Amino acid sequence: MAARKLFVLILIVFVGAGVHVGLSRKVWENRQEVRRTTQTGYVFPSQFARILALGHKGLYADYLFLNTLTFFGERQMYRENLTKEDWDYLVAGLDTVTDLDPYFLDPYVLGASLLTWDIRRFDDANRLLEKGTRHRTWDWRLPYYLGFNHFYFLKDYNKGAEYLMEASRRPQSPSFLPTLAARLSYYGDQARTGILFLMALISQTKDERLRNSLLIRKQALEGAALIEERIERFRKERGRAPGDINELLKEGYIEQLPEEPYGGKWLILPTGRVFSTSKFVAPPKKK
Amino acid sequence: MNRVWALSVITYKEGIRNRSLFGILAFALFVLGLNISVAGFFMREVGKVTVDMNLSALTFSGLLLVFFVALHLMAKDIDKKTIQLVFSKPLSRGEYILGKYLGILFFVVVSLLALAVFSIATVSLVRGLYPNYFAGFSWPIFFTAGCFVLVQLAVLCAILILFSTVTTSSFASLIFTVCVYLVGVTIEDVLFYIQSGFRTEAISPVVQEVVKVVSYILPNFSMWDFKLEAAHGLAIGAERIGLGLGYAAVYIVVLLALATLFFQRREFN
Repeated sequence: MAARKLFVLILIVFVGAGVHVGLSRKVWENRQEVRRTTQTGYVFPSQFARILALGHKGLYADYLFLNTLTFFGERQMYRENLTKEDWDYLVAGLDTVTDLDPYFLDPYVLGASLLTWDIRRFDDANRLLEKGTRHRTWDWRLPYYLGFNHFYFLKDYNKGAEYLMEASRRPQSPSFLPTLAARLSYYGDQARTGILFLMALISQTKDERLRNSLLIRKQALEGAALIEERIERFRKERGRAPGDINELLKEGYIEQLPEEPYGGKWLILPTGRVFSTSKFVAPPKKK
Repeated sequence: MNRVWALSVITYKEGIRNRSLFGILAFALFVLGLNISVAGFFMREVGKVTVDMNLSALTFSGLLLVFFVALHLMAKDIDKKTIQLVFSKPLSRGEYILGKYLGILFFVVVSLLALAVFSIATVSLVRGLYPNYFAGFSWPIFFTAGCFVLVQLAVLCAILILFSTVTTSSFASLIFTVCVYLVGVTIEDVLFYIQSGFRTEAISPVVQEVVKVVSYILPNFSMWDFKLEAAHGLAIGAERIGLGLGYAAVYIVVLLALATLFFQRREFN
Protein backbone atom coordinates (compact mmCIF):
# COMPACT_ATOMS: atom_id res chain seq x y z
CA MET A 1 0.00 0.00 0.00
CA ALA A 2 2.80 2.36 1.04
CA ALA A 3 4.68 1.61 -2.16
CA ARG A 4 1.63 2.47 -4.22
CA LYS A 5 1.16 5.73 -2.39
CA LEU A 6 4.79 6.62 -3.03
CA PHE A 7 4.40 5.74 -6.70
CA VAL A 8 1.35 7.96 -7.05
CA LEU A 9 3.14 10.84 -5.35
CA ILE A 10 6.18 10.52 -7.61
CA LEU A 11 3.87 10.34 -10.61
CA ILE A 12 2.11 13.51 -9.55
CA VAL A 13 5.45 15.28 -9.14
CA PHE A 14 6.71 14.24 -12.57
CA VAL A 15 3.49 14.87 -14.47
CA GLY A 16 3.05 18.15 -12.62
CA ALA A 17 6.60 19.24 -13.44
CA GLY A 18 6.06 18.40 -17.12
CA VAL A 19 2.82 20.35 -17.30
CA HIS A 20 4.47 23.22 -15.45
CA VAL A 21 7.30 23.49 -17.97
CA GLY A 22 4.79 23.53 -20.83
CA LEU A 23 2.68 26.13 -19.09
CA SER A 24 5.68 28.34 -18.27
CA ARG A 25 6.55 28.52 -21.91
CA LYS A 26 3.01 29.68 -22.65
CA VAL A 27 3.14 32.18 -19.79
CA TRP A 28 6.35 33.77 -21.09
CA GLU A 29 5.05 33.95 -24.64
CA ASN A 30 1.88 35.53 -23.34
CA ARG A 31 3.77 38.07 -21.26
CA GLN A 32 5.96 38.99 -24.19
CA GLU A 33 2.89 39.65 -26.32
CA VAL A 34 1.21 41.60 -23.53
CA ARG A 35 4.26 43.77 -23.01
CA ARG A 36 4.61 44.42 -26.71
CA THR A 37 1.02 45.43 -27.26
CA THR A 38 0.17 47.23 -24.04
CA GLN A 39 -0.20 50.90 -24.04
CA THR A 40 2.60 52.92 -22.60
CA GLY A 41 3.16 52.77 -18.91
CA TYR A 42 2.80 55.49 -16.39
CA VAL A 43 5.71 57.10 -14.62
CA PHE A 44 5.24 58.51 -11.17
CA PRO A 45 5.84 62.24 -11.16
CA SER A 46 9.19 62.86 -9.54
CA GLN A 47 7.85 64.45 -6.36
CA PHE A 48 6.06 61.18 -5.56
CA ALA A 49 8.83 58.97 -6.88
CA ARG A 50 11.25 60.68 -4.49
CA ILE A 51 9.04 59.72 -1.55
CA LEU A 52 8.38 56.26 -2.94
CA ALA A 53 12.11 55.59 -3.20
CA LEU A 54 12.29 55.34 0.62
CA GLY A 55 15.74 56.83 0.80
CA HIS A 56 17.11 54.80 -2.10
CA LYS A 57 16.72 57.39 -4.84
CA GLY A 58 19.86 56.26 -6.66
CA LEU A 59 18.73 52.65 -6.81
CA TYR A 60 15.21 53.63 -7.83
CA ALA A 61 16.62 55.86 -10.57
CA ASP A 62 18.69 52.94 -11.86
CA TYR A 63 15.63 50.69 -11.91
CA LEU A 64 13.45 53.27 -13.62
CA PHE A 65 16.11 54.00 -16.20
CA LEU A 66 16.49 50.30 -16.94
CA ASN A 67 12.70 50.11 -17.37
CA THR A 68 12.70 53.01 -19.80
CA LEU A 69 15.61 51.49 -21.68
CA THR A 70 13.89 48.10 -21.92
CA PHE A 71 10.67 49.70 -23.09
CA PHE A 72 12.46 51.49 -25.88
CA GLY A 73 14.60 48.46 -26.71
CA GLU A 74 11.57 46.17 -27.02
CA ARG A 75 9.83 48.52 -29.42
CA GLN A 76 13.00 48.81 -31.45
CA MET A 77 13.42 45.04 -31.52
CA TYR A 78 9.98 44.51 -33.04
CA ARG A 79 10.53 47.51 -35.30
CA GLU A 80 7.39 49.15 -34.07
CA ASN A 81 6.84 52.81 -34.53
CA LEU A 82 6.65 54.70 -31.32
CA THR A 83 3.48 56.69 -30.85
CA LYS A 84 3.37 60.14 -29.35
CA GLU A 85 2.30 58.56 -26.05
CA ASP A 86 5.35 56.28 -26.19
CA TRP A 87 7.64 59.27 -26.60
CA ASP A 88 5.83 61.12 -23.81
CA TYR A 89 6.43 58.10 -21.61
CA LEU A 90 10.09 58.09 -22.53
CA VAL A 91 10.46 61.79 -21.76
CA ALA A 92 8.55 61.47 -18.47
CA GLY A 93 10.73 58.50 -17.51
CA LEU A 94 13.95 60.37 -18.23
CA ASP A 95 12.63 63.41 -16.37
CA THR A 96 11.83 61.39 -13.27
CA VAL A 97 15.12 59.48 -13.41
CA THR A 98 17.11 62.70 -13.61
CA ASP A 99 15.04 64.27 -10.82
CA LEU A 100 15.80 61.30 -8.59
CA ASP A 101 19.48 61.43 -9.45
CA PRO A 102 20.37 64.63 -11.31
CA TYR A 103 23.99 63.53 -11.71
CA PHE A 104 23.12 60.36 -13.67
CA LEU A 105 24.80 60.71 -17.08
CA ASP A 106 23.13 57.89 -19.04
CA PRO A 107 19.58 59.29 -19.20
CA TYR A 108 20.91 62.64 -20.44
CA VAL A 109 22.90 60.99 -23.19
CA LEU A 110 20.01 58.73 -24.18
CA GLY A 111 17.61 61.69 -24.25
CA ALA A 112 20.04 63.83 -26.21
CA SER A 113 20.45 61.26 -28.95
CA LEU A 114 16.93 59.79 -29.23
CA LEU A 115 14.92 62.97 -28.83
CA THR A 116 16.87 64.91 -31.44
CA TRP A 117 17.69 62.51 -34.29
CA ASP A 118 14.63 60.25 -34.00
CA ILE A 119 11.75 62.51 -33.12
CA ARG A 120 13.14 66.05 -33.26
CA ARG A 121 11.78 67.06 -29.87
CA PHE A 122 14.55 69.58 -29.33
CA ASP A 123 12.86 71.37 -26.45
CA ASP A 124 12.68 68.20 -24.39
CA ALA A 125 16.23 67.18 -25.31
CA ASN A 126 17.64 70.61 -24.48
CA ARG A 127 15.68 70.85 -21.23
CA LEU A 128 17.17 67.54 -20.11
CA LEU A 129 20.66 68.58 -21.21
CA GLU A 130 20.37 71.91 -19.41
CA LYS A 131 19.44 70.11 -16.22
CA GLY A 132 22.49 67.89 -16.67
CA THR A 133 24.73 70.89 -17.40
CA ARG A 134 23.56 72.55 -14.18
CA HIS A 135 24.29 69.52 -12.05
CA ARG A 136 27.26 67.81 -13.69
CA THR A 137 29.38 70.93 -13.46
CA TRP A 138 32.57 68.99 -14.19
CA ASP A 139 31.30 67.37 -17.38
CA TRP A 140 31.99 69.15 -20.68
CA ARG A 141 29.91 66.72 -22.77
CA LEU A 142 26.47 68.02 -21.78
CA PRO A 143 27.02 71.69 -22.73
CA TYR A 144 28.79 70.37 -25.80
CA TYR A 145 25.69 68.40 -26.87
CA LEU A 146 23.62 71.50 -26.19
CA GLY A 147 25.93 73.55 -28.36
CA PHE A 148 25.69 70.95 -31.08
CA ASN A 149 21.86 70.89 -30.95
CA HIS A 150 21.73 74.67 -31.24
CA PHE A 151 24.22 74.71 -34.04
CA TYR A 152 23.07 71.70 -36.07
CA PHE A 153 19.32 71.46 -35.48
CA LEU A 154 18.16 74.88 -34.32
CA LYS A 155 20.65 77.01 -36.32
CA ASP A 156 21.01 79.27 -33.31
CA TYR A 157 24.74 79.98 -33.66
CA ASN A 158 25.07 82.48 -30.85
CA LYS A 159 23.51 80.19 -28.31
CA GLY A 160 25.45 77.26 -29.71
CA ALA A 161 28.72 79.14 -29.35
CA GLU A 162 27.80 80.10 -25.78
CA TYR A 163 27.32 76.44 -24.87
CA LEU A 164 30.53 75.43 -26.59
CA MET A 165 32.38 78.11 -24.64
CA GLU A 166 30.84 76.75 -21.47
CA ALA A 167 31.95 73.25 -22.47
CA SER A 168 35.49 74.37 -23.27
CA ARG A 169 35.87 75.87 -19.77
CA ARG A 170 35.23 72.50 -18.18
CA PRO A 171 38.02 70.08 -17.28
CA GLN A 172 39.34 67.61 -19.85
CA SER A 173 37.38 69.17 -22.69
CA PRO A 174 39.02 68.60 -26.07
CA SER A 175 41.37 71.32 -27.23
CA PHE A 176 39.43 71.93 -30.45
CA LEU A 177 36.41 73.29 -28.59
CA PRO A 178 37.65 76.88 -28.22
CA THR A 179 38.44 77.10 -31.91
CA LEU A 180 35.07 75.60 -32.76
CA ALA A 181 33.27 78.00 -30.49
CA ALA A 182 35.13 80.96 -31.95
CA ARG A 183 34.33 79.88 -35.50
CA LEU A 184 30.73 79.30 -34.59
CA SER A 185 30.41 82.66 -32.94
CA TYR A 186 31.99 84.26 -35.98
CA TYR A 187 29.44 82.73 -38.29
CA GLY A 188 26.86 83.54 -35.67
CA ASP A 189 27.51 87.27 -36.20
CA GLN A 190 29.47 87.86 -33.05
CA ALA A 191 33.12 88.25 -33.87
CA ARG A 192 33.59 90.37 -30.74
CA THR A 193 32.31 87.58 -28.42
CA GLY A 194 34.70 85.21 -30.11
CA ILE A 195 37.62 87.58 -29.48
CA LEU A 196 36.76 88.03 -25.81
CA PHE A 197 36.40 84.29 -25.41
CA LEU A 198 39.77 83.69 -27.03
CA MET A 199 41.43 86.28 -24.80
CA ALA A 200 40.08 84.56 -21.70
CA LEU A 201 41.31 81.25 -22.96
CA ILE A 202 44.74 82.54 -23.98
CA SER A 203 45.29 83.86 -20.48
CA GLN A 204 44.53 80.41 -19.07
CA THR A 205 46.40 78.34 -21.63
CA LYS A 206 49.87 77.19 -20.66
CA ASP A 207 50.48 74.90 -23.62
CA GLU A 208 52.70 76.93 -25.95
CA ARG A 209 51.48 75.44 -29.25
CA LEU A 210 47.82 75.79 -28.43
CA ARG A 211 48.45 79.30 -27.15
CA ASN A 212 50.06 80.32 -30.41
CA SER A 213 47.26 78.91 -32.50
CA LEU A 214 44.73 80.75 -30.32
CA LEU A 215 46.69 83.99 -30.70
CA ILE A 216 46.64 83.65 -34.50
CA ARG A 217 42.90 83.02 -34.49
CA LYS A 218 42.38 86.02 -32.25
CA GLN A 219 44.38 88.17 -34.66
CA ALA A 220 42.24 86.95 -37.57
CA LEU A 221 38.99 87.65 -35.75
CA GLU A 222 40.22 91.10 -34.72
CA GLY A 223 41.03 91.87 -38.33
CA ALA A 224 37.62 90.72 -39.48
CA ALA A 225 35.90 92.62 -36.69
CA LEU A 226 37.78 95.83 -37.61
CA ILE A 227 36.82 95.59 -41.29
CA GLU A 228 33.21 94.83 -40.38
CA GLU A 229 33.14 97.89 -38.17
CA ARG A 230 34.35 100.08 -41.06
CA ILE A 231 31.80 98.50 -43.42
CA GLU A 232 29.12 99.40 -40.92
CA ARG A 233 30.32 103.01 -40.82
CA PHE A 234 30.40 103.04 -44.63
CA ARG A 235 26.86 101.76 -44.78
CA LYS A 236 25.62 104.35 -42.31
CA GLU A 237 27.25 107.29 -44.11
CA ARG A 238 26.62 106.21 -47.72
CA GLY A 239 23.38 104.33 -47.30
CA ARG A 240 24.79 101.30 -49.14
CA ALA A 241 27.30 98.56 -48.66
CA PRO A 242 30.78 98.87 -50.20
CA GLY A 243 31.27 96.85 -53.37
CA ASP A 244 34.51 95.29 -52.19
CA ILE A 245 37.37 95.71 -49.76
CA ASN A 246 39.24 98.04 -52.10
CA GLU A 247 36.39 100.54 -52.03
CA LEU A 248 36.91 100.89 -48.29
CA LEU A 249 40.59 101.62 -48.90
CA LYS A 250 39.95 104.03 -51.73
CA GLU A 251 37.35 105.99 -49.83
CA GLY A 252 39.62 106.26 -46.81
CA TYR A 253 37.53 104.24 -44.43
CA ILE A 254 40.54 102.15 -43.64
CA GLU A 255 44.18 103.17 -44.14
CA GLN A 256 45.59 99.73 -44.37
CA LEU A 257 44.02 96.29 -44.37
CA PRO A 258 44.84 94.31 -41.26
CA GLU A 259 47.15 91.37 -41.76
CA GLU A 260 45.38 88.11 -42.44
CA PRO A 261 47.40 85.69 -40.30
CA TYR A 262 46.35 82.60 -42.23
CA GLY A 263 47.70 84.13 -45.44
CA GLY A 264 44.40 84.54 -47.27
CA LYS A 265 42.76 87.61 -48.75
CA TRP A 266 39.93 89.50 -47.04
CA LEU A 267 36.52 89.13 -48.67
CA ILE A 268 33.15 90.73 -48.15
CA LEU A 269 30.46 88.08 -48.27
CA PRO A 270 27.07 88.91 -49.82
CA THR A 271 25.67 88.88 -46.28
CA GLY A 272 27.94 91.77 -45.35
CA ARG A 273 30.19 89.59 -43.22
CA VAL A 274 33.93 89.66 -43.67
CA PHE A 275 35.74 86.46 -44.36
CA SER A 276 38.97 85.30 -45.87
CA THR A 277 39.98 83.15 -48.80
CA SER A 278 41.94 81.08 -46.26
CA LYS A 279 38.66 80.31 -44.45
CA PHE A 280 40.70 80.94 -41.30
CA VAL A 281 42.49 77.64 -41.67
CA ALA A 282 46.28 77.52 -41.68
CA PRO A 283 47.62 76.35 -45.06
CA PRO A 284 49.16 72.88 -44.93
CA LYS A 285 52.88 73.09 -44.24
CA LYS A 286 55.09 72.47 -47.26
CA LYS A 287 57.55 69.69 -46.91
CA MET B 1 31.02 50.59 33.75
CA ASN B 2 32.32 47.04 33.95
CA ARG B 3 28.78 45.80 34.39
CA VAL B 4 27.60 47.67 31.30
CA TRP B 5 30.52 46.27 29.37
CA ALA B 6 29.77 42.71 30.50
CA LEU B 7 26.12 43.04 29.47
CA SER B 8 27.00 44.46 26.08
CA VAL B 9 29.49 41.65 25.42
CA ILE B 10 26.82 39.06 26.28
CA THR B 11 24.30 40.83 24.04
CA TYR B 12 26.81 40.96 21.19
CA LYS B 13 27.64 37.27 21.51
CA GLU B 14 23.98 36.37 21.56
CA GLY B 15 23.49 38.37 18.38
CA ILE B 16 26.42 36.81 16.56
CA ARG B 17 25.13 33.32 17.43
CA ASN B 18 21.71 34.08 15.93
CA ARG B 19 20.96 31.83 12.96
CA SER B 20 19.10 34.59 11.07
CA LEU B 21 22.50 36.13 10.47
CA PHE B 22 23.20 33.53 7.77
CA GLY B 23 19.97 34.40 6.00
CA ILE B 24 20.82 38.09 6.03
CA LEU B 25 24.34 37.36 4.81
CA ALA B 26 22.90 35.24 1.98
CA PHE B 27 20.57 38.08 1.05
CA ALA B 28 23.44 40.58 0.93
CA LEU B 29 25.56 38.22 -1.16
CA PHE B 30 22.64 37.73 -3.55
CA VAL B 31 22.23 41.48 -4.06
CA LEU B 32 25.97 41.93 -4.57
CA GLY B 33 25.97 39.07 -7.09
CA LEU B 34 23.02 40.67 -8.85
CA ASN B 35 25.05 43.85 -9.01
CA ILE B 36 27.82 42.14 -10.98
CA SER B 37 25.37 40.85 -13.57
CA VAL B 38 23.20 43.97 -13.80
CA ALA B 39 26.02 46.54 -13.97
CA GLY B 40 26.70 45.70 -17.62
CA PHE B 41 23.14 46.66 -18.65
CA PHE B 42 23.98 50.34 -18.32
CA MET B 43 25.62 52.41 -20.98
CA ARG B 44 28.20 54.46 -19.15
CA GLU B 45 27.47 54.82 -15.48
CA VAL B 46 28.47 51.31 -14.43
CA GLY B 47 30.34 52.74 -11.44
CA LYS B 48 27.37 54.72 -10.23
CA VAL B 49 25.03 51.74 -10.49
CA THR B 50 27.54 49.56 -8.66
CA VAL B 51 27.86 52.03 -5.79
CA ASP B 52 24.06 52.49 -5.64
CA MET B 53 23.49 48.78 -5.40
CA ASN B 54 26.27 48.18 -2.88
CA LEU B 55 25.21 50.90 -0.48
CA SER B 56 21.56 49.94 -0.80
CA ALA B 57 22.44 46.29 -0.16
CA LEU B 58 24.34 47.33 2.97
CA THR B 59 21.38 49.45 4.10
CA PHE B 60 18.81 46.70 3.48
CA SER B 61 20.93 44.10 5.28
CA GLY B 62 21.47 46.51 8.15
CA LEU B 63 17.71 47.07 8.40
CA LEU B 64 17.12 43.33 8.50
CA LEU B 65 19.73 43.04 11.26
CA VAL B 66 18.02 45.72 13.33
CA PHE B 67 14.43 44.69 12.64
CA PHE B 68 14.93 41.00 13.30
CA VAL B 69 18.09 40.17 15.22
CA ALA B 70 18.37 43.31 17.33
CA LEU B 71 14.66 43.25 18.09
CA HIS B 72 14.99 39.68 19.25
CA LEU B 73 17.96 40.58 21.47
CA MET B 74 15.98 43.35 23.10
CA ALA B 75 12.67 41.56 23.48
CA LYS B 76 13.92 38.16 24.55
CA ASP B 77 14.82 39.16 28.12
CA ILE B 78 11.36 40.55 28.70
CA ASP B 79 9.41 37.85 26.82
CA LYS B 80 11.23 34.98 28.51
CA LYS B 81 11.37 36.74 31.86
CA THR B 82 15.15 36.31 32.05
CA ILE B 83 15.19 40.01 32.85
CA GLN B 84 14.28 39.11 36.44
CA LEU B 85 17.54 37.22 36.62
CA VAL B 86 19.46 40.18 35.23
CA PHE B 87 17.96 42.55 37.78
CA SER B 88 18.86 40.23 40.63
CA LYS B 89 22.43 41.33 39.87
CA PRO B 90 23.65 44.75 40.99
CA LEU B 91 22.73 46.44 37.69
CA SER B 92 20.63 49.59 37.42
CA ARG B 93 17.99 49.91 34.71
CA GLY B 94 19.89 52.72 33.10
CA GLU B 95 22.96 50.53 32.91
CA TYR B 96 20.84 47.76 31.44
CA ILE B 97 19.59 50.02 28.64
CA LEU B 98 23.07 51.33 27.90
CA GLY B 99 24.59 47.85 27.97
CA LYS B 100 21.95 46.46 25.65
CA TYR B 101 22.31 49.39 23.26
CA LEU B 102 26.10 49.09 23.09
CA GLY B 103 25.87 45.34 22.62
CA ILE B 104 23.36 45.66 19.80
CA LEU B 105 25.35 48.46 18.20
CA PHE B 106 28.56 46.43 18.41
CA PHE B 107 26.78 43.46 16.84
CA VAL B 108 25.40 45.59 13.98
CA VAL B 109 28.80 47.21 13.37
CA VAL B 110 30.65 43.89 13.26
CA SER B 111 28.07 42.26 10.98
CA LEU B 112 28.07 45.22 8.66
CA LEU B 113 31.86 45.30 8.54
CA ALA B 114 31.80 41.67 7.43
CA LEU B 115 29.35 42.62 4.68
CA ALA B 116 31.49 45.62 3.79
CA VAL B 117 34.36 43.26 2.99
CA PHE B 118 32.16 41.53 0.39
CA SER B 119 30.97 44.89 -0.86
CA ILE B 120 34.53 46.12 -1.36
CA ALA B 121 35.33 42.90 -3.21
CA THR B 122 32.29 43.42 -5.48
CA VAL B 123 33.15 47.02 -6.26
CA SER B 124 36.77 46.06 -6.99
CA LEU B 125 35.62 43.23 -9.24
CA VAL B 126 33.17 45.34 -11.25
CA ARG B 127 35.79 48.07 -11.42
CA GLY B 128 38.22 45.53 -12.82
CA LEU B 129 35.65 44.43 -15.41
CA TYR B 130 34.72 47.96 -16.53
CA PRO B 131 37.76 50.11 -15.66
CA ASN B 132 36.71 52.96 -17.99
CA TYR B 133 33.42 53.61 -16.26
CA PHE B 134 34.67 54.41 -12.79
CA ALA B 135 36.05 57.87 -13.49
CA GLY B 136 34.21 59.64 -10.69
CA PHE B 137 34.58 56.86 -8.16
CA SER B 138 36.39 57.55 -4.90
CA TRP B 139 36.97 55.08 -2.07
CA PRO B 140 37.04 57.70 0.72
CA ILE B 141 33.60 59.03 -0.28
CA PHE B 142 32.30 55.47 -0.65
CA PHE B 143 33.54 54.66 2.87
CA THR B 144 32.07 57.86 4.27
CA ALA B 145 28.68 56.94 2.82
CA GLY B 146 29.11 53.42 4.24
CA CYS B 147 29.90 54.81 7.70
CA PHE B 148 26.75 56.92 7.54
CA VAL B 149 24.73 53.77 6.82
CA LEU B 150 26.05 52.68 10.22
CA VAL B 151 25.02 56.01 11.75
CA GLN B 152 21.49 55.49 10.42
CA LEU B 153 21.41 52.04 11.95
CA ALA B 154 22.75 53.35 15.27
CA VAL B 155 19.83 55.79 15.44
CA LEU B 156 17.42 53.05 14.44
CA CYS B 157 18.73 50.80 17.23
CA ALA B 158 18.08 53.56 19.75
CA ILE B 159 14.53 53.95 18.39
CA LEU B 160 14.03 50.20 18.69
CA ILE B 161 15.23 50.26 22.30
CA LEU B 162 12.90 53.10 23.16
CA PHE B 163 9.88 51.28 21.75
CA SER B 164 10.90 48.04 23.43
CA THR B 165 10.73 49.80 26.78
CA VAL B 166 7.25 51.24 26.23
CA THR B 167 5.42 48.41 24.49
CA THR B 168 4.65 45.03 25.96
CA SER B 169 4.85 43.13 22.70
CA SER B 170 7.94 42.84 20.54
CA PHE B 171 5.78 42.84 17.42
CA ALA B 172 4.40 46.25 18.35
CA SER B 173 7.90 47.66 18.81
CA LEU B 174 8.86 46.23 15.40
CA ILE B 175 5.89 47.93 13.74
CA PHE B 176 6.58 51.24 15.49
CA THR B 177 10.27 51.17 14.59
CA VAL B 178 9.53 50.34 10.95
CA CYS B 179 7.00 53.19 10.86
CA VAL B 180 9.45 55.68 12.33
CA TYR B 181 12.05 54.55 9.80
CA LEU B 182 9.65 54.94 6.87
CA VAL B 183 8.63 58.40 8.05
CA GLY B 184 12.26 59.30 8.72
CA VAL B 185 13.44 58.49 5.19
CA THR B 186 10.50 60.23 3.51
CA ILE B 187 9.79 63.20 5.77
CA GLU B 188 12.23 65.49 3.98
CA ASP B 189 10.66 65.00 0.57
CA VAL B 190 7.15 65.24 1.99
CA LEU B 191 7.94 68.46 3.82
CA PHE B 192 9.65 70.09 0.85
CA TYR B 193 6.86 68.93 -1.41
CA ILE B 194 4.26 70.59 0.81
CA GLN B 195 6.31 73.77 0.95
CA SER B 196 6.91 73.83 -2.80
CA GLY B 197 4.45 75.34 -5.23
CA PHE B 198 4.27 72.16 -7.29
CA ARG B 199 1.29 70.58 -5.62
CA THR B 200 -1.94 70.54 -7.54
CA GLU B 201 -4.40 70.57 -4.68
CA ALA B 202 -4.49 72.67 -1.58
CA ILE B 203 -3.22 70.90 1.50
CA SER B 204 -5.02 71.73 4.71
CA PRO B 205 -3.05 73.86 7.15
CA VAL B 206 -3.61 71.26 9.87
CA VAL B 207 -1.78 68.62 7.83
CA GLN B 208 1.00 71.09 7.09
CA GLU B 209 1.42 71.83 10.78
CA VAL B 210 1.35 68.14 11.70
CA VAL B 211 4.06 67.38 9.15
CA LYS B 212 6.13 70.25 10.46
CA VAL B 213 5.82 69.07 14.06
CA VAL B 214 6.64 65.49 13.03
CA SER B 215 9.72 66.74 11.21
CA TYR B 216 11.03 68.08 14.51
CA ILE B 217 10.20 64.97 16.54
CA LEU B 218 11.33 62.23 14.18
CA PRO B 219 14.85 62.07 12.78
CA ASN B 220 15.46 63.14 9.19
CA PHE B 221 17.33 60.14 7.80
CA SER B 222 18.27 62.06 4.63
CA MET B 223 20.84 63.91 6.73
CA TRP B 224 22.81 60.66 6.94
CA ASP B 225 22.26 59.63 3.33
CA PHE B 226 25.34 60.13 1.18
CA LYS B 227 24.59 57.46 -1.41
CA LEU B 228 24.20 60.02 -4.20
CA GLU B 229 27.54 61.65 -3.38
CA ALA B 230 29.27 58.27 -3.24
CA ALA B 231 27.70 57.19 -6.54
CA HIS B 232 29.16 60.19 -8.38
CA GLY B 233 32.25 60.82 -6.28
CA LEU B 234 31.02 64.26 -5.20
CA ALA B 235 32.95 65.77 -2.31
CA ILE B 236 31.09 65.85 1.00
CA GLY B 237 31.60 69.02 3.02
CA ALA B 238 33.01 68.70 6.54
CA GLU B 239 30.05 70.71 7.79
CA ARG B 240 27.57 68.11 6.58
CA ILE B 241 29.57 65.32 8.18
CA GLY B 242 29.91 67.18 11.48
CA LEU B 243 26.28 68.23 11.53
CA GLY B 244 25.16 64.72 10.65
CA LEU B 245 27.24 63.12 13.40
CA GLY B 246 26.13 65.69 15.97
CA TYR B 247 22.47 65.33 15.00
CA ALA B 248 22.72 61.54 15.36
CA ALA B 249 24.63 61.63 18.66
CA VAL B 250 22.21 64.03 20.32
CA TYR B 251 19.21 62.10 19.06
CA ILE B 252 20.59 58.79 20.35
CA VAL B 253 21.36 60.29 23.78
CA VAL B 254 17.85 61.71 24.08
CA LEU B 255 16.26 58.40 22.99
CA LEU B 256 18.33 56.35 25.44
CA ALA B 257 17.55 58.78 28.28
CA LEU B 258 13.85 58.54 27.46
CA ALA B 259 14.10 54.76 27.27
CA THR B 260 15.73 54.67 30.72
CA LEU B 261 12.98 56.92 32.05
CA PHE B 262 10.22 54.65 30.77
CA PHE B 263 12.08 51.52 31.76
CA GLN B 264 12.50 52.66 35.35
CA ARG B 265 8.75 53.09 35.74
CA ARG B 266 7.99 49.74 34.20
CA GLU B 267 6.98 46.80 36.35
CA PHE B 268 7.88 43.24 35.52
CA ASN B 269 5.89 40.39 36.90
